[in-house]
This record gives sequence, C-alpha cells and structure tokens, in this order.
Amino acid sequence: MAESVRRMLGDQWVSGAREPHRFGVRHLSPAGSYHLLALLEEVQPTAVLIEGPSDAGGLAGQLVSRGVVPPVALLAYTEQLPVRTLLYPFADYSPEYQALRWAHRNGRHAEFIDLPTEASLAIVERKREAYGEIERKREQERKQERKREHGNEDANEDERERKRPDLYARIAELSGEPDYEAYWERHFEHSLEPGSYRAAIARFSEEMRAMTEEEELRAAPQESAYNEIRESYMRRKIRDTIAAGHLPERIVVLTGAHHTPALTPERPAMTDEELALLPRVPTRMTLMPYSYYKLSSHSGYGAGNAAPAYFELLWQCMLEGDLDRLPALYLSSVASRMREQGTWRSTASVIEGVRLAEALASLHDGARPTWKDLRDAATILFGHGEFAVVAEALARTDIGTAIGSLPEGVSQTPVQDDLNRELKRLKLEKYKTLVAAELDLDLRENRRVQSEESAFLDLNRSVLLHRLAVLGIRFARKQHARQADATWAERWVLQWSPEAEIETVESTLKGETVELAAAYVLHERLHACADIAEAAKIIRLAGECGLPQVAGDAVSALQRLAVDAGNFEQIAETVRELSVQLQYGSVRRIDTEPLLPIMRQLFLRGCLMLIEASGCNDDAAAGMVSAIHAMNAVAQEHYSEVDEPLWLSKLKELAERDDRNPKLSGYAFSIVLERNEAGEEECAREVARRLSPGIPADLGAGWFEGLSLRNRYALLSRDYLWRHLDAYIQSLEAEPFKRSLVFLRRAFGTFEPREKAAIAELLGDIWGTGADTTGEALQRPLNEEEKRSLDELNDFDFGDL
Amino acid sequence: MGMDPKQDVLRLPAEKLYARELEALKEVDKEERPAGWQLSPKAVLTFIVGGQAGDTAITPKYIGHKRLVEMAIATLLTDRALLLIGEPGTAKSWLSENLTAAIHGDSSKVIQGTAGTSEEHVRYSWNYALLLAQGPSEQALIRSPIFRAMESGGIARFEEISRCASEVQDALISILSEKTIAIPELNREVAAERGFSIIATANTRDRGVNEMSAALKRRFNIIVLPAPSSLETEIDIVRRRVSEISASYRLRASQPDEETVRKVVTIFRELRSGVTLDGKEKVKAPTGVISTAEAISLLTGSMALAGSFGDGRITDEDVAAGLQGAIVKDEEKDRVAWKEYLENVMKKRGASWRSLYGACSEING
Repeated sequence: MAESVRRMLGDQWVSGAREPHRFGVRHLSPAGSYHLLALLEEVQPTAVLIEGPSDAGGLAGQLVSRGVVPPVALLAYTEQLPVRTLLYPFADYSPEYQALRWAHRNGRHAEFIDLPTEASLAIVERKREAYGEIERKREQERKQERKREHGNEDANEDERERKRPDLYARIAELSGEPDYEAYWERHFEHSLEPGSYRAAIARFSEEMRAMTEEEELRAAPQESAYNEIRESYMRRKIRDTIAAGHLPERIVVLTGAHHTPALTPERPAMTDEELALLPRVPTRMTLMPYSYYKLSSHSGYGAGNAAPAYFELLWQCMLEGDLDRLPALYLSSVASRMREQGTWRSTASVIEGVRLAEALASLHDGARPTWKDLRDAATILFGHGEFAVVAEALARTDIGTAIGSLPEGVSQTPVQDDLNRELKRLKLEKYKTLVAAELDLDLRENRRVQSEESAFLDLNRSVLLHRLAVLGIRFARKQHARQADATWAERWVLQWSPEAEIETVESTLKGETVELAAAYVLHERLHACADIAEAAKIIRLAGECGLPQVAGDAVSALQRLAVDAGNFEQIAETVRELSVQLQYGSVRRIDTEPLLPIMRQLFLRGCLMLIEASGCNDDAAAGMVSAIHAMNAVAQEHYSEVDEPLWLSKLKELAERDDRNPKLSGYAFSIVLERNEAGEEECAREVARRLSPGIPADLGAGWFEGLSLRNRYALLSRDYLWRHLDAYIQSLEAEPFKRSLVFLRRAFGTFEPREKAAIAELLGDIWGTGADTTGEALQRPLNEEEKRSLDELNDFDFGDL
Repeated sequence: MGMDPKQDVLRLPAEKLYARELEALKEVDKEERPAGWQLSPKAVLTFIVGGQAGDTAITPKYIGHKRLVEMAIATLLTDRALLLIGEPGTAKSWLSENLTAAIHGDSSKVIQGTAGTSEEHVRYSWNYALLLAQGPSEQALIRSPIFRAMESGGIARFEEISRCASEVQDALISILSEKTIAIPELNREVAAERGFSIIATANTRDRGVNEMSAALKRRFNIIVLPAPSSLETEIDIVRRRVSEISASYRLRASQPDEETVRKVVTIFRELRSGVTLDGKEKVKAPTGVISTAEAISLLTGSMALAGSFGDGRITDEDVAAGLQGAIVKDEEKDRVAWKEYLENVMKKRGASWRSLYGACSEING
C-alpha cells in the first residue's frame, strides 16, 4: 500500500499537477534569505532540498550545530595529486545556511542535492583538460579581473557572468545604473514585498537563461554539458525525495537562480545507468572557518561578494524590519572608522551623507540607497571628493575583519589534530593565544634531563616552527638571534590568529600531518627548482624542518644541477649555503656527510671560473665582489676540506691580470695582502704598475677602489702603499688628475672619518709636514677659491665614463 | 533692464544657447519638480549627459562621467552647496553653467573670484551717491548675485573661489549655514527662498590661491572632476565643443577632420601624463597645464587662422602654430620638453605624422 502511494505521488509530480516550490537565489544574498524564510514559514515543508554537494550530508548537520559562527566554508578536495578543490563558503546571510538552520530548528528533513564532490571534481578536472593550456591561462587572467567587479556565488555563476560581461554591463546601462551590482541590489536586495522577489528573480533568470543558453552551448559546450549533468542529477534527487514520501507541495528546492527554470518535471532526471557512467575521483571534505576578507575575493577562491560586512549589516537591518536605518548605520560606521584613524568627521557630515545617498537613490527611482550610492556619498562628504581619503575606512566597513569559528570537535582536519598534538607534546599550547609572546630556543642537547624527549625539546620545537613557516601558517616568526652566528640559538615570536587556523586547514590539502605537508611543499619546490642556489636553500630548509628524506632528495637534485652550473655568483652562493649547513649539521643532528663532496666539487669549479667571470663591467662587479667574499669565507672556514691553495693561486692570478675588471683585481689583491701572501716588495711593484702614468686614470683608480673595499686596517698599516699612491698622484698631468679624482673620491667616500684622519696622518708623515698640520689642512672647510675650482670640475667632460 | 534680447552677442549663456532643448525637456518632463526647479532632476541629468526629449535630441554637455553628474544633481537636491574642483580645463565652469541653466534657467548670477573680490561682492554694497543723499534705503542697496539668487530661489555661481582672500571665503560660511543675509543698516534680513543654492568652482593646479578653510569645505559637497578618462572621450569632447564654438563665432573654415583632432588630443594626453599612450616611453612634461580646454581653443584658433588667412581648411602649419603657443609657455624649459617630444616621439610615428612634425620643428627652429 505504502509503495503504491509513493509511486502515485511520484507520478503526480511527473504529471506536473503538484510541483515542489522552487526558490532561486543568488548565493550570498540577504534578500534571498529573507524571502526564503518567509516561504519556509508559509509552506512548512517536510523536506528542504539545497544546492550543495550531496555527499556532504554529515557536514551539513555539523554546520548548524551549536557554536558554529559563520563565515564558514565547506571544502572538498581530491585525495590524490594534483589536489583539486571545491569551496562552498557560507555567510550568516547565505540562503543555504539559513535553510539548513530553519530545517534544524523545526526538525525537518534537509539535504544537499547537487552532484557529489567525487563526481563534480572529476568532471571539473576533465573540463579543465578539455579547455587546454592556453585557454586556461587566459581564463585565469580574466577571472582575476572580473573577480573584483563581481563578488559572486559559486564558480559556475562566476563563469557565466564572466562570459557575458557585455550582457551584464548592458543590463546596468539600460537600467541607468552605474554597474550591475547596483542594478542587482536596487532591484532584488531591497525588495521586501512578499512574493515579488521570488517572481521577479524567477522571471529574470528564465529570460537570462533563454538569452544565453544557445550561446553557451556554442561557445563553451563543456560548460553547458556540466550544467546539464548537474541539473539532471538534481532532478533525480527531487524525484527521489518525492518517492521517499514527501508531498511535492511540502518540498522546497533552493538553488542558484540560474538552475530553477531547469528543475521542472518535464525535463528528464538522471537514470541509474547515467549515474554509473559519471567519472569519479576519491575526495574528502571538511568544514573550515572562513573570513569576510577571503569572502570579499581579495584573496584565495573566486566565490564571494565584494562587501560581506555591508551585506551583513543589510541582513541585520532586514531581520529587525528596519531597512531605513541602514544608510545612517553604514555612514556613521565609516565616519567612526575615520575618526579612529585620526581624521575627524562630524555627525553633521553623516546626516548630509545620508541625504545625498537618498537623493542619489531617488534619481534612480530607488526607495533606498545602494552600496554604491553610500560609497559615493562617503567619498563626497567624508573624502571631500577624493576617494583615496576614505578608501581605507570604506574597506574596513565593507569587508570587516569578521572571521568564523567552529567549536572544538567539529570536523577537525587531520592536520589540525596533528598540530594540536604536536603543540601539546612540545609544551607550546600556552602560546596558542592572540597575544604575541617571545620564545628563545637553545638547540643543543640539554644534558641535565633524563629523557631524550626533553633533552631535545627545543630542537624539536624549532623543527615544528620551521615546518609551519614552510607551510605558510603564520603562527611563528623567526627573529634574528641575539648572539651573532650562534648556530644553536633561535628566537621566535609566537602569535595565534584565526587566519592561522584557516591556513592550517588549507594545509590539509598538502598532507595528513604537519610533517607530511611540509615535506610535500618542499618536494614541490624541489620539483620546480632549476638552479643550484635554490636547491641548496631547500637542503637548508629540509634540515631545519627535520626532513632528512627531503634533504637527501634535494642533495641529489643539487648534484644533478651542479653538473651544469656555470654561473660563478650562483656557485659562490651555493657553496656558502652548504658551508652553513655543514656547520649547523651537528646541532641539528643531520647527516651532512653527502654535502661535503658537492661543496668540494662546486668550490673547485668556482676557483676555476674565477678568472673568466671577473672579466665583467663595473655594474656586474658589485655582485662579483660579494661572491668572491663568500668563496673566500668558505675557503677559510673549510681550509682542510677544500682546495684552499688553488683558491689563493687563482686570487693571485686575478690580482696580477690586467685584462680583468680592475676593481676585482684590486679586491683580489687586497685579500692576498690580508693573508700576507704578498710582501712589501710585491706590493710596491703592484701599486707602481697599476698606478703608473701610462695606465688610464679610471683603470688605476678603479683598481684602488677594489683594493679599499676590504679590510682597511690592513691597508692603513702598510705605509709603503700610501707612499706609492702619493707618488702616483703627484706624477699625473692636470687632465688625467681630474679623471682619477672622481674615482679616488668614490673610493675614499666610504671611509669613516676616523680612517680618513689616519690617512691624513700617514700622508703627513710622508710629506714631512707632521700629522697634525696635515690633518688640519685636509679637514678644514674649503675656502671660496677652492670651492670654485672644485665647481669647475663639475663641468669637466668625462666623455666615455 | 533684463537680459539683452539680441542673439547677436559674442557668447550666449547656456540657457540661450540650448533654449530649444530646455523647452523640449520642459514639455515632456512629467516627473515631480523640486521647489524652485524648472525641470525634474532626471530631466536635468538628461540635459547634461544627453539623450532624447520627445523628438528633440539633447546634445551631451558633459561627457564621460555620468555618475559625477548624478552626484552633483543629488547634491543640489539636498539644498547643499556644490563645489567642483579640478585641474584647469576639466569643464568645471561649463558644468556649473549648464547645471544652473537647466535647474534655474538663469546662469548669469556669477561672482568671479579674484584677489580683489571683497565681502561686498559676496553680500551687498551701496550706491554711495544715493546712500549719501537718502541714507540707507532699498534703492541705494546693490544686491550681489548671491543676494539675488536668495531672493528668487535660484542658483548663484561662484567661480574660482580659492582665488579670494580667506575672509571673503569665510563670508560665505554664514550664508551657507544660516541661508540668510542680514542688512543691519535697513534693519532687515533676507532669507533664502526654496531652491537657493551655490555652485562654486576651484582650481587644483593654480598658484597663488588661498587654501579653503575646513569650516567652508564642510559646507560644500565637493566633487572632483577628473581629466577625460580615455582618448576617445576626449576626442569626442573636443570635436563637439569645437563645432559648437565655431558655429557661434562664425569661423569661415571647415571643421578639423577626425585625424587632426586625434593627433592634437594624443599629443596633449601624452604630454599631460608624461608617458606615451602605449605606456612604453616616458616623455618630459611641460611646466604648464595641458588641458582639454586648451585643445579646444587651439583648434578653434587654427580654424580662425585658416578661415582668415588660408583657404578655409586647417593645415598642419596652423596646428603647429597653435601647438607651439599652447605648450611652450615657459620659454626655456617647455621648449626643451617640446623639442624632445618632437624628436623622440613624433618623428618616429611614421608617414601620417610626417608633415605635422615638419611644420612643428620648423617653428621650433
């Protein structure tokens, strides 16, 4: 008997005699929620069917449990790589969220009826493949563009508006509105007439659909097909619900307005065979806290609307039945934001602002100002016509800082669980607050404690914090250690934030635990890595994150890349990075053994490339100087492990060569001097040769500039150097003197006053005038005549310099 | 005395120039008119941004920023005074005149702000002969344009308000907040009729202006008029205005062709923004302001040259002479900037620019 009743009802739906109530909305729409609630109260449905992934049943229940504060989002992601995601954000004013809550409150059946995510993600992936690479890129760009203009529902609705931007612009133009958003708000969000909203939106979407359907079928057949699959699946779910015993007229079907015209019994529902044919990928789902900032599509996913906090305000006013308060509420909140920032705006301006916004609305036959009207009024009254003045206050008022939250135990992702476990294990729980706190770590083994766990507590903490940093979870910021170069000390500032919670949830996509996720991220980076410096950096990161496996992979990647490495500066940077690793290794208990041969190999190559790489112009010389410095530091640090004699001999060669960049030759010579590899005689010879009258002044001075870049005490302590320099300058003719002056001045410009004084003394000794008089003569201010002759220098034509 | 009924004046006020359009709008305007307005707000909007009134086409007076016009009209709807700010040549006065013509039908109540404007110009002054003869009387009273606008519930215009001394500006404060002018000598007060408002304009790039006080600023709704947003908009504006002006001045020359207007506007926009339109090359900007208004006067000037001394068609030499005058205002620096622009940008533009380039560099020596 029951069976036959059910069938009869099903048939009745098919015959179209009694249909479920179809209610179309824009997904983040306060008016949609308002009218939906009215409809639910009126119809008192036994079943509420909602557009949303049908396999999210359990989560839908959790969504309305106590302690959930929107905005929250439902995140679906594929288990396998590459990870693809679908996101369904809900604000308090989302009709879907309100429908779930109503059903929960009244104990009615509520169900998501869209394709299960395992099917939709698989289809979306195929669609993506079908589009091809180029199209995808172009799409991405355009999406970025449109995102800002249209804060909008789910990905599909987004697509649609993107594809017909001219159509939407045309609607705005015909209605005389500045943009489509204003049109929408004025015509749909402000209408509180019972019933009119539903009729208007049904008609609007039906006509839009009629206008765009054919075009879409032609221009984007995949899109069209996907849409058809979704709708036929939804029709199937509606049919099933009726078959399960719900009276059609006691069912409310809530979907995006675009779909409502298609959910009629005349169109075929998906059959079992068709359902079995759908592609599937294994997926998972979770709830996550969301923020208005993300919702406003300034970052992250495409779904959202541009001014979530404004719409929240609109929703609140609607619930209180006092929409007329909205303009005053909004503008005074903008004014108070400006006052917070120190810009005083009076209540009188707020009043004038409300009047202006209302006058603007009346020009469009609107009963109330739209968001756009209010913003423009704020620009004129608070910004005195300048948008920039009010931009920040507006952003704060429009978007706000609201962040949703989920109670403990509601749909924790594995990685959240893991993080909490780790924090507990490492006694870091107390830092999980909104107040920033400092944490000093000593990575060395603590020998006074019993267990190994506590002996390496700080080391393990450092590993966790580094992993979080790699994952982009903003919980801990590393500070510069107090003690320079102490490899065992670290200082962190820890501060928890809801944003960090969101970032943690997002890490779920990368792995089940913090460790796995961090390893995944580093692997991805390694995969994309094309130069040795980056590979060396990844080795360091892997070391800091305590991921020996990744470090090993990075080492082999480095080895592979090192074969072709042919850039001296890159090699120097890498060698330096590896050297740091070798020093850190013992503290971090990492096996650095395999790094040594690579470093040795790269160091050797660096030595051999030095001479060739030094044949560069002055612009490139700056980078070379720091590269030579790095190589030299490594040579000294690891003198027993690398071929230091070879390095020195190459430096000497560079110091002697005339055909390389003179600055670099000078710099090499300063290292040779510093190491006492050149005596007075050699030095005298070199200075004389470099600065001999035949050499162009700029080359000589450039050489001296390179020489003075390093240890100046080494220079100052060698008086013979200054004698030769003096002799050289005295020997110059007027014209070359002026040229060399430029370079010498630049070289000495970086000397400190103390050092300049020391030079003056040295010269005094040489000239026999005595240190004091010379110092005085050189340091006293210029007189007029001297100034004039210096000014003349400004007109000097340096020609090719 | 009233207005001069003759049409043969050098420059017609907007309400005369567009009398036919205003009549047509009045005829079809069915919407409610605010007190003191001769048209409904929507009709005013149509008058400014263009459209249709029955069979009569309404020419656009202000192109490109419809929303700003809406905001200006909404301001006047709320009895607030309106202040239009912008660089020279952003059509501030033009918009102010046309708004006044459309709303009030008389755009002649104007105070021109200068360093010499005194408080009497803003409020009222006396005919001293009568004052000495009769003592203070209604006959001896000389009403300022604002005074008259208050009496008739109309709109007074205040041009270049920031050029006035601060105390003159401050005289406006009480007028705007109390909407009355007291005449203690006659022991009476004029209260503003409904519909009274003030549209002021101010320049952002002028030197020697007086900063407006915060108190005065608060009493205005301020709208910043931008330079035309795109090349096409600016070309459109220039062409329209040139044809209107040349018609009223009866210049015996043909309109400049699209190509010439495009070239002039391109040069102006590039020099104004300091970068070529394709954004690839930086150019040195001249010291002066290179406004749309100057492009318009340059082209009408060229038409006058062509009409009076040439064959009635604008030649590249005419345009070159105009460009030289408009751009090189400070002899030294501007000449360098203009010369560089000629050599680095214009010269490379290809055949269609060749002859203009030749004419320009010839003048520039």
